[in-house]
Amino acid sequence: MGAAIETKKLTKSYKTPKGSVNVVDGIDLHVEEGEIFGFLGPNGAGKTTTIKILLGIIYQTAGEAFVLDKEVGDTAIHHLISYLPEKPYYYDHMTGMEILKFYASLFGIKDDAKCQALLEKVNLAGDGHKTISQYSKGMQQRIGLAQSLLNDPKLLFLDEPTGGLDPIAHIEIRDLILKFREEGKTVFISSHELSDVERICDRVAIINKGKIERQGRLEDLLAGGRYEITADVSEEFAKKIQENDTTVSWKAGRLLVDMPDSISPNAIIEGIVAAKGSVLSLIPRRKRLEDLFVETVRNVGVNKP
Amino acid sequence: MKINRQALIGSALGLLVVQGALSQNFIFPLWKKNYSTDKPNIGAGLAPDQLLVALAGFREMIAGILWVRADSFFDSGNYDAILPVIRLVTMLDPKQIDVYATGMWHIAYNFTDEESRSDRRYIPTALALGGEGARQNPETYELFFETGWLWYHKIDDDFGKAVKWWEQAQQRKDILPARQNILAMAYQRNGEIEKGLNMYYSQLDRANEVMKAQTDFGARQQRDTTENNIDTMLVRMSQRGLMGPMSGTTNMGVNYDTQPPFDVGFSAQVTVIQPRVIRVRCTWNVRPVGTRIRMVLRDADYPNAVAGGMNWDFSNDVQLDPPRDKTFMQDQLFVRNQRVERKIDMSRDPTMYPFTAERYIVEFYYNPRSAPPHIQDKFGWNGEGFTDKNFINKTVRPGQTVMYTSLELTRDQILKLGDWRDRTPLIQTKNFRESDKFRRDQESIKIPGLRTAPVNPGDQRTQPLR
Amino acid sequence: MKIILSIASTTVGEAVRRKVLLVILLIGLLFVVVAPALNILTARQERTVLIGLTLGVIQLTAALIAIMLTVYMVPNEIERRTIYTILCKPVQRWQFLVGKYLGAVAALGMMIGFMTIVLLITFSVSQREFDPTKLAPLVKGPLMNFFQMSLLSAVALMFSTFVSPLVNIFLSSGIYMLGTLFSPLFQTLVESPSVNTVTKLFARIIHWILPNFANFNVQNPLINPGQQLVNEQLYYITTIGYAFFYIGILLVTAVLIFDQREV
Repeated sequence: MGAAIETKKLTKSYKTPKGSVNVVDGIDLHVEEGEIFGFLGPNGAGKTTTIKILLGIIYQTAGEAFVLDKEVGDTAIHHLISYLPEKPYYYDHMTGMEILKFYASLFGIKDDAKCQALLEKVNLAGDGHKTISQYSKGMQQRIGLAQSLLNDPKLLFLDEPTGGLDPIAHIEIRDLILKFREEGKTVFISSHELSDVERICDRVAIINKGKIERQGRLEDLLAGGRYEITADVSEEFAKKIQENDTTVSWKAGRLLVDMPDSISPNAIIEGIVAAKGSVLSLIPRRKRLEDLFVETVRNVGVNKP
Repeated sequence: MKINRQALIGSALGLLVVQGALSQNFIFPLWKKNYSTDKPNIGAGLAPDQLLVALAGFREMIAGILWVRADSFFDSGNYDAILPVIRLVTMLDPKQIDVYATGMWHIAYNFTDEESRSDRRYIPTALALGGEGARQNPETYELFFETGWLWYHKIDDDFGKAVKWWEQAQQRKDILPARQNILAMAYQRNGEIEKGLNMYYSQLDRANEVMKAQTDFGARQQRDTTENNIDTMLVRMSQRGLMGPMSGTTNMGVNYDTQPPFDVGFSAQVTVIQPRVIRVRCTWNVRPVGTRIRMVLRDADYPNAVAGGMNWDFSNDVQLDPPRDKTFMQDQLFVRNQRVERKIDMSRDPTMYPFTAERYIVEFYYNPRSAPPHIQDKFGWNGEGFTDKNFINKTVRPGQTVMYTSLELTRDQILKLGDWRDRTPLIQTKNFRESDKFRRDQESIKIPGLRTAPVNPGDQRTQPLR
Repeated sequence: MKIILSIASTTVGEAVRRKVLLVILLIGLLFVVVAPALNILTARQERTVLIGLTLGVIQLTAALIAIMLTVYMVPNEIERRTIYTILCKPVQRWQFLVGKYLGAVAALGMMIGFMTIVLLITFSVSQREFDPTKLAPLVKGPLMNFFQMSLLSAVALMFSTFVSPLVNIFLSSGIYMLGTLFSPLFQTLVESPSVNTVTKLFARIIHWILPNFANFNVQNPLINPGQQLVNEQLYYITTIGYAFFYIGILLVTAVLIFDQREV
C-alpha cells in the first residue's frame, strides 16, 4: 500500500509589501491509503492553502507534493480525487439532481441512475427535484458530499465538512465519512471541529503558522492520560507520595493526586489503605485532542511575526 | 493537458496582427464609406463632452430630444441658443433633413435686428450647413434644393450658385415636378435664357407624358403651369429683344424695351442723426414701384467681403461663431416716388452692431437680375437696358451691368464721439442734391391692381383674370 | 468540448436568473415597447426615429447586460468557491474560462434575441408593417450588436481574470466607449492636414490595437433607408471575422493570465 499523499518540504509563499510570507512552510505530510486523516490547525494556519496545492488549484513555491503517487498539477489525478470546499455555494437555481448531473458531466459521466443512487446515499433521495435555494445548510453539505462521490474517488478532501451544521447534521456527515473508510477510500479532513476529528480520524497532523507541529496516529498523540485520586488521609502521608510528574495537594484532610497513567496507581491506593485512609475516587482522565491541540498551538506561541 | 504558453502567446500575437490588418485594410475603408457619420470638419467647434455623447450611440434619439428642446427656443426667440443645438443635432444625426433645412432657414432668415435687417454674418454658416446636409444626404434632393433656395432668394445675387445647387437637386430621383420649375427661373436670373426655356420645354414634355398615364388634377396643373410659364417667358423674351438674335434673325431695327439703356440717376446721403441712428436718402429715377436698392453697412475690413456682398461660401465649415465683434448688416431700401428716405436705428441691437473697429463702409448696390419682371422688362436680364451716369459698374459682377457705390463712415461718426460730439456727420455721393421730393412725405402711391379697380357690372375686362 | 458546453449551459442558466440583468433587460424592453409613444420627438419620419431609438435602446441594454454579466462571472465563482469544486474535477482552466465565456455569449444572444423579437412586434404593430421582407433587415442591427457585445464580453472576461469587478465595470465601459468613439476620431485625425505625423502614427497604432466597436454599429442604413451601401455583404463578413479574431486574442490572453492566477 503506497501513500495517498506525500509532501516534501512543501512551501507556499506570498509576496506582501513587507516581504515574502510563507503560508505553508516546508511541510512534510504523509497520508496512508485507506485512512481518515485529520488536518488540524487554527484559522489561517495554511490548511486550505495546502489542500489547494494538493488539488493543483494553486502551485507551490518550493518542495514536492505527490497525490496517489503522481505529482500534483497533473489533472489525470482529478479523476481519482474529489474535494468538498468549506462552505461551498452551488448554483442555487439548479435542483439537487441537476447539480449532480452537471458535476458528472465534468467527468464525462452521463449516468442518471448513479446520480440518483448518490442522492439516496446522502439521504436526499426525496429532495432531488428541489432547487438548492430550498436546501438547508446540512442538505447543501450533503449534496456537496454527493457530488464529491461522483467519480468514486480514492481520495477525498473535505474542508470543514461539519462547519456550521447543527448536531444532527454533524452526526449524519460523520457517519457518511465513516462509511467512506469502510469502502476503502482515503479521507483527508481539514477541520478545527476537534470532537469530530477525534471520533473518526485515524491519524492527524496539526499545522500552525504554516508548519506541521505534530503528526501521527491519534492513539500515539493522545497517549499520556492521567489518573486523579481523591482520598481522605493525613498530611504526613501526603508529603510521602511526592514523585515525578505528580501533582499532590492536601487540604483539611482531603488529598488530591494527579498523576500520569504510565505509573500504576496501585502503589498509592495501597499506601492510602495502609495508612488507614479512605479512597474516595479514582478517575482515569484520557488525554483529549483538544488538550493536544491547545498545547501544541500554545507552545508555538507568538514566536515570529 | 497543460497549456503551451509560448504557443498561445504566439497565436495571440498572430491574431493581433490578423485583426489589425483586417480592421485597417478591409473594414475601415468600408466603414468610412458606409457608416461614418463624422466627416473631418464636423467635429470642429464642438466641446469634447458633446462629441462624446454624440458618438456613443443613441445619436438619433438624442438628436430628437434636442430638437424638441430647440423648438422651445424658437418659441421664446432665444436664437443664440438654437445655433449650437442645430449644430449638435445635425452632428448627432446627419440624416435629420428637416433639422438641416429648418436650421439653415432659421440662421439665414431669422438672425436679424429688431427691424428685420439681415445679420449677414451668419449666411456662410447657413450655407455651410446646407452643404454639409446635402453631402450627408446625397440620396434626396431636399438639401440641394434648400441650399439653392438660399442663394436664389436670400443672397439674391449670385444666381449661378443657385443654378449649380438646383442642377444637383435636379439629378435626384425624388425631386417633385413643382420644384423643378424654379430651376428654369434661376437660369433666367442667371442670364442663361436658352437653358431656362429648354428647361421649361422638357418640363412640358414630361408633364405631357404624365398626363397620358394619369389625368388627375395635379398632373393637369403641372402641365398648365408649365405652358403658362413658357408663354410668359416667350413674351418676356420678345419684349426684351432676345427673340431676334436667338432665332438667327435680327430685331429689324426695333430696339424693343431695353434700348436705349435707362439712367436711374442714383445718389445717396447718409446722416447720423443720433448716436447709432442714421438716416439714408437716395434718389432713383424709376417710376414703377418695385425697386429695392441693397444697402450694406459693414466693417471696412470684414473678412471675405466683396463689393455689395461677401464670398458667401468661402468655407465648408459650419462656423458656430462668426465674427462677433464685427458688423455685416444688409437692408433693402424700397424706392417710393423715385426716392428713398430711411431711418436706421442700430442702438438696440448691440450684438449685431458692436462698432468696435474704426472704419465702416456703407455700400449701395443694385443688380437688375434681382429686379421684378416688370422692371426687368426695361433693364433686361443682364442689365442691357440699365445705366447710371455716375455709378454704373461692369466689373464687380462680371458680365452684368450693376449700380455700385460706397461711402465711408468712422466709428466716431456713427457713435457721435470725439470731433463729432456736437456736429452732425453727413456723407453723401458727389451728385447728391437736396430735392423737394424728400419733403413730400405725404405723397401717396397708387399701386395699380386689378382687384382695387372699380367693377362695372357687365364690364368683362375689369374682372380678375382666371 | 462536452465539459465546456456543460459549464456554458450552467452559466446560461445562472445568467438568465440574475436579477440585475433581468431588471436591465426589463427596462430595455419597456423602452422598446413605449418607443412608438415617444414619437413626439420626430423631426421628420416616425419610422426613422422609432428605429433609431429602439436600436439604440437595444444596444445600450445589451452593453449593460454584457458588462454586468461578464464582470462578475469569474470573481463570483471564486468568491463562492464553486470554482474549486469544478477545478478539482478533470477540468482545465482554459476549459472553464471558455465555457464561462460561451455561456455568457449564449445568454447575451438569448437576451438580444428576445429584445429583437419584441422590437419586431412593436414595430409591426405600431407601423402596421407586416411584410417580412421589410421587417427582416431590422434584424441586422441587433445581429451585429450581438457580435459587438460578444467582443465586449470577451474584453470584460479578460479583465475579470486580474482586476476586481468594480474596476472592471469602469475599465470595460471605458474600452467600449473608446472603441466606439475612436474610429470617427481616428478618421478625423488622419484626414486632417493640420495634425502632425507623430500624432497620426500614434493614432494609427491605437486604432490598430483597440477593439473597434464602431465597426458593428450598422444602424445608419436601417434608420435611413435611402443610404446606399458599398459592398454590404463583404463588410458584414469581414466585421464578423474581425470579431472572431479579436475575441480569440482576448480569450487566449485571458487563459494565459488565468492559468497563472492564484484563485
